[in-house]
Amino acid sequence: MSLIHVKDLSKHFKILNRREGLGGAFRDLFSGDFRTVEAVAGISFDIDAGEIVGYIGPNGAGKSTTIKMMTGILKPSGGLIEINGLVPYENRIRQAQIMGVVFGQRTQLWWDLPVIESFKILKEIYKVDQKTFDEHMDMFNELVGLKELYSQQVRTLSLGQRMLCDITASFLHNPQIVFLDEPTIGLDISVKAKMRTIIKELNRTRNTTIILTTHDLGDVEALCNRIIIIDKGKILYDGDIKKVNALFGAYRTLKLQIDQFNETTLQTLNDKLTEKFGTDHGITISENEESWTDVTIDQARTPLSEVLNHLMTNFTVMDVRIVEISMENVVRKVYDGALT
Amino acid sequence: MRSIGEYLRLYFMIEAQYIKGRMQYRADFIISSIGMFFSSLATLGIFWVIFESVPDLAGWSLMEMVFIYAFYMIAISPMQILFDHAWQLRFHIQQGTFLKYYFRPLNMMFYYMSEIFDLKGLTQLAVGIVLLVYASLQLNLDWTLIRIALLFITLFSAALVQISIVVIASCASFWVLDSYPVLGLAWKLREFSPYPMTIFDGAFRFAFTFIIPIGFVSFYPSQLFLRPQDVSSLIYFSPVIGIGLFALTYWVWTKGVNSYTGTGS
Ligand SMILES: Nc1ncnc2c1ncn2[C@@H]1O[C@H](COP(=O)(O)OP(=O)(O)OP(=O)(O)O)[C@@H](O)[C@H]1O
Ligand SMILES: [Mg+2]
Repeated sequence: MSLIHVKDLSKHFKILNRREGLGGAFRDLFSGDFRTVEAVAGISFDIDAGEIVGYIGPNGAGKSTTIKMMTGILKPSGGLIEINGLVPYENRIRQAQIMGVVFGQRTQLWWDLPVIESFKILKEIYKVDQKTFDEHMDMFNELVGLKELYSQQVRTLSLGQRMLCDITASFLHNPQIVFLDEPTIGLDISVKAKMRTIIKELNRTRNTTIILTTHDLGDVEALCNRIIIIDKGKILYDGDIKKVNALFGAYRTLKLQIDQFNETTLQTLNDKLTEKFGTDHGITISENEESWTDVTIDQARTPLSEVLNHLMTNFTVMDVRIVEISMENVVRKVYDGALT
Repeated sequence: MRSIGEYLRLYFMIEAQYIKGRMQYRADFIISSIGMFFSSLATLGIFWVIFESVPDLAGWSLMEMVFIYAFYMIAISPMQILFDHAWQLRFHIQQGTFLKYYFRPLNMMFYYMSEIFDLKGLTQLAVGIVLLVYASLQLNLDWTLIRIALLFITLFSAALVQISIVVIASCASFWVLDSYPVLGLAWKLREFSPYPMTIFDGAFRFAFTFIIPIGFVSFYPSQLFLRPQDVSSLIYFSPVIGIGLFALTYWVWTKGVNSYTGTGS
């Protein structure tokens, strides 16, 4: 039996168009003025012990909502979740004992307490024995140099330091599953690297199952063996990272700032590219903010250098940047059938 | 399931650290305690002004009023000290920081409330105790062992009533966007508690006795010690009311926690 079993899971939010003040609040109680958002619209998957799963998708896709249901905060509108055969929403306290959770930048440590005291309280809460505690603290120290922060109050930590503390804290009680919702948001490269080291190492040594959401495809590439792509509450892809890796790897987006950009520029661009590379050039063009144009290229079909050359000779390009494909574009590609 | 003993141990552990942490802001502690001290005395000032012009208030003398007020101060201290975090519930709910309270294998009300231990409430408690002793000496109250036991029982019940009123009011933020008016009401009502309910006319007295029973925070139980000969039998229900109200509060809290959908993130 799999560790996490999700079947036809859905969550609708009924959003009340609320009014202000006491009178408004009172009227709201009887109001039928609702709008429904289908945040998760029937998803199914199974996750085994020891997997690291990247749960990705654009903003508003329903990732956090799924995690909130798996951690027992939200009651599903439909479908089933079982973790170790138990329904999280009905067994919150029991499930909390075998889970670790980190939600973005919101710390779960005690704000006024020195870091080490937070860890000691967690030791008490989860009934971690002294030996395991010492072992884990040594390990965390080795991985991210936690010791230097021990005596510092949590409120005085930098975002990166605090996130490292939060992540390590979520592993302290040796949970079976750790949910990480955007753990690397706002972190610099070196802290991100440390974060990835911890996650990898704990997964390797403790066989901890990890569900990770992120907008950083680098995290996914570095950590996950499996990814689930979700958009508008539905699963678009669930499978091996390798296929998707090829996708991330092959695509690059050229960001161009073109002189005298106007309504016809996009069309002209497209025409010029078709002229040179034929209709099957596999290049998508889209307008970005403030006259920046995104040209996304499948390097397997058309070499980036040739496209850039061609554009430079035909247009007055004032500025250019080359970036990895964005989450939005990955999702668009998947919709277009890139993985089938 | 964790036993009460384990919860207590955990509570002391968290608060010991919390107090240590807060003590680094010594000025904050001193200033807020002084503020608390004077605001406690302000009400006494009001009594003094009233009794300058009238000899008694609905038949209650100044010293009796001081006793009622002292009882009130002691009774609201547990709310102030242990449940102070209730006032911030609406911010946590609105900003989504309430989520984290779901992630520990702990009772959520315990975990949430344990996060703040309001030191300045200790000042209030101390002032209350001093005033209670002072007033009972002045009034020559006869403290038998039974009376002392009754004092503890009624104080416990009164504290539960006060805690319930504040926590229930704060729970409004689980369902309404702007729960400030509800909390404001709970805050304002506190100010009526140290007055003889007999000064309010029918509708209010009924409300303060049966609907939002602030009469049980101080006035009704105080009667038991001030005028034992003519207490209403209502007072013997005070433990029932205290415990019943707290049970209701806990139920509302649980409903709120279960229906909270969080903010998008
Ligand atoms: N508490 C809520 N009440 C109403 N609607 C909500 C609530 N939480 C989420 N939603 C809606 O549900 C949808 C999915 O939100 P969710 O937070 O799960 O997205 P996400 O995939 O985590 O996105 P992001 O990458 O931006 O964090 C969104 O349309 C959001 O507006
Ligand atoms: Mg999210």
